[in-house]
Amino acid sequence: MSAARMSPLYAGRRRRNSIFMALAGASTLVGLGFLAAILVTLVVQGFGALNPRVLTAMTPPPGSDGGLLNAIAGSLVMTLLGVLVGTPVGMLAGTYMAEYGRYSQITHVVRFVNDILLSAPSIVVGLFVYEIMVAPMGHFSGLAGGVALAIIVIPVVVRTTEDMLLLVPDPIREATTALGAPRWHMISHVAYRAAKAGIITGVLLAVARISGETAPLLFTALNNQFWSTNLNAPMASLPVIIFQFAISPYADWRDLAWAGALLITAAVLLLSIAARALNMKRGS
Amino acid sequence: MDAAVAQTKATNAPIKVDIRGVNFYYGQSRALKDVTMPLYKNHVTAFIGPSGCGKSTLLRALNRIYDMYPNQRAEGEILVDGENILDQKQDLNLLRSKLGMVFQKPTPFPMTIYENIAFGIRLYERLPRAEMDSRIEAALTQAALWTEVKDKLQASGLSLSGGQQQRLCIARTVAIKPEVILLDEPCSALDPISTAKIEETIEELKTEYTIVIVTHNMQQAARISDYTAFMLLGELIEFGDTAMMTTKPRVQKTEDYITGRFG
Amino acid sequence: MTAQHIVKSYDEELKRLTNAIAEMGGTAESQLDQAIQAVARRDSELAGRVVRNDSAIDQLEEAVQSQTMRLLALRQPVARDLRDIMAAIKIASDIERIGDLAANIAKRAIALNQSAPVRPVAAVPRMGKLAQQAIKDVIDAYLEHDPKKAIAVWQRDDDLDDLTSSLFRELLTYMMEDPRSISPCAHLLFIAKNIERIGDHATNIAETVHFLVMGQRPTMARPKGDTSSYEVVEPPEETGAAAGGGGARA
Repeated sequence: MSAARMSPLYAGRRRRNSIFMALAGASTLVGLGFLAAILVTLVVQGFGALNPRVLTAMTPPPGSDGGLLNAIAGSLVMTLLGVLVGTPVGMLAGTYMAEYGRYSQITHVVRFVNDILLSAPSIVVGLFVYEIMVAPMGHFSGLAGGVALAIIVIPVVVRTTEDMLLLVPDPIREATTALGAPRWHMISHVAYRAAKAGIITGVLLAVARISGETAPLLFTALNNQFWSTNLNAPMASLPVIIFQFAISPYADWRDLAWAGALLITAAVLLLSIAARALNMKRGS
Repeated sequence: MDAAVAQTKATNAPIKVDIRGVNFYYGQSRALKDVTMPLYKNHVTAFIGPSGCGKSTLLRALNRIYDMYPNQRAEGEILVDGENILDQKQDLNLLRSKLGMVFQKPTPFPMTIYENIAFGIRLYERLPRAEMDSRIEAALTQAALWTEVKDKLQASGLSLSGGQQQRLCIARTVAIKPEVILLDEPCSALDPISTAKIEETIEELKTEYTIVIVTHNMQQAARISDYTAFMLLGELIEFGDTAMMTTKPRVQKTEDYITGRFG
Repeated sequence: MTAQHIVKSYDEELKRLTNAIAEMGGTAESQLDQAIQAVARRDSELAGRVVRNDSAIDQLEEAVQSQTMRLLALRQPVARDLRDIMAAIKIASDIERIGDLAANIAKRAIALNQSAPVRPVAAVPRMGKLAQQAIKDVIDAYLEHDPKKAIAVWQRDDDLDDLTSSLFRELLTYMMEDPRSISPCAHLLFIAKNIERIGDHATNIAETVHFLVMGQRPTMARPKGDTSSYEVVEPPEETGAAAGGGGARA
């Protein structure tokens, strides 16, 4: 830059640019610093508590030896239930919005409501399921927990399904239709295929989100000290156990809570990496 | 017959599609104004004109692809073999199997080359594997793509070059044995070599199909079409023999447009 | 004239082409004029200048050829532009031939000047005038895009053909009467034929102008006037031999 063109206006602009760059950089560092601190604490504390019994034994009473097996199993069961119920509902709703009802008024309303649901506090979902399932049935249950998780999954899947289908270029739809394919055939054979990686990514992110949810399970599945896969009975889950153990006065419970937290974090991390890998494949 | 449609020398060819007084609306705006012209069987007709003149709209009316969108409607008559396809009772999927369409940008489906073509065939026929193989080979050969892809039929259709993708789309269209092929600026995204290959393909397809091509490229229209329709602001200005149109158009507006004296 | 091209340089190139044709036409016209004068005034020096000057027309034609080639390659002309360029190529080659024929007349003028003058020379300036007028009119028709003017030139070619036929008969008679006049009369014959050919090229140009403006050649049949190809003159004596043999073909 020649001195002649270094006008006061430009010099000011350059100065402001450096200030904002410094601010943005500092904020990034602060955020990353907290994240690193959390992870370091988690890994240090969690690894110390990790041993084979964590994966093989049931949750113990205070003072005795135990693991998290029933909680891991409960989490897996309820997460699976949530995904199995939430994904089809979410996908069909998203498909309606992107394909059948793209220009209809209902779609706008559904999208707005869905966005609210997407950002609703999960404890509200827990309370809702408590009201419609736990209270009438008279007891907590794994089923109610799964339903609560499904309600969290649905808006995520609706949103990603719609977004991913809208990313499929219209000419592809037109080309399929121009061959004489009926609309459902076009959607199921071509649009879904084109949006597949994106939709799977969305589902994986939904799984990551519900696997760490505590609030909706507190009011629905509650907890269970023992091995149980009975959906009609209270069921243990990792987040609830972590919540319960972490605030207890017993050191061995608190250690198990750290181990559980590490397990969930590792699982979420793996799911995120898987989602990202799928996205990369789609991008290529 | 409309004033714009001249007595042309090869009018002894039968009319495959008869467009009669067609008006087209996007909501309130009228995109086609009383368009009347014939499309002759086994001939290539080119639609030319500046952007927004209605040439693509007219093409999209021929297989009623516009029906996918709300607020788009056509009035008038489009007779395919004497049957008015704008009739509400018209079965759209059957209509589209008869009038195939190739789009401006290549639109390979996210599946293998083989499946891209088998997809369309399976909509209408259930064929044993060997027969399906030979149908796919025939379609790819017709689209002048067979030699380039015969060793990688299981590769993704998206892995092909732009020109190959476009020929794949042509193969996909001819595989279901339509009677009319509608091409919407099929070469606009392609390099000259790919364009030449597509043009050669069109030349060969002409013997079996009635072809309509929308193009921005006057030279391309001159090279490959038998008849040319020049449109402007939704109106058909001139329809006639391409050779005549490129040497001595009857209407001054046509001459101004094709010689680049516009606006 | 209608609207300009969006690409202005295209218009300029077409304009340059038209100007080159106009210049060729003018040069050819004056070459013919001088060649005819050289014949009429027995001016060998003027004739020599005409012969030397022919290369100017050849060079102009080459320039037109390379310009048209460039336009065809770069612009891929259609419709009016295509007709413009095709017409320029054809007209340039017709004018180039006219130039050659004028130079040939000049050469024969030099040869003619070697022998005593013969009387039928008097007809040459009249024919030359007609041919010159035809060139002038047809080039005007080209520049003005006037098919009517072109058709007029095309139809007037008859007069030139008639003059050629009568001069032909006159010359044959002369040659038969006085064998010493055979050499100059033979040259005059060729001069007359050359002028008549110039007229034919002018009618070719007229047809091209018609095509340029109307997109097709004139549809009416042009009356073929020059009958000298079928002309037979009976020698004054030995009538039997010529009559029996069906006559000599020119």
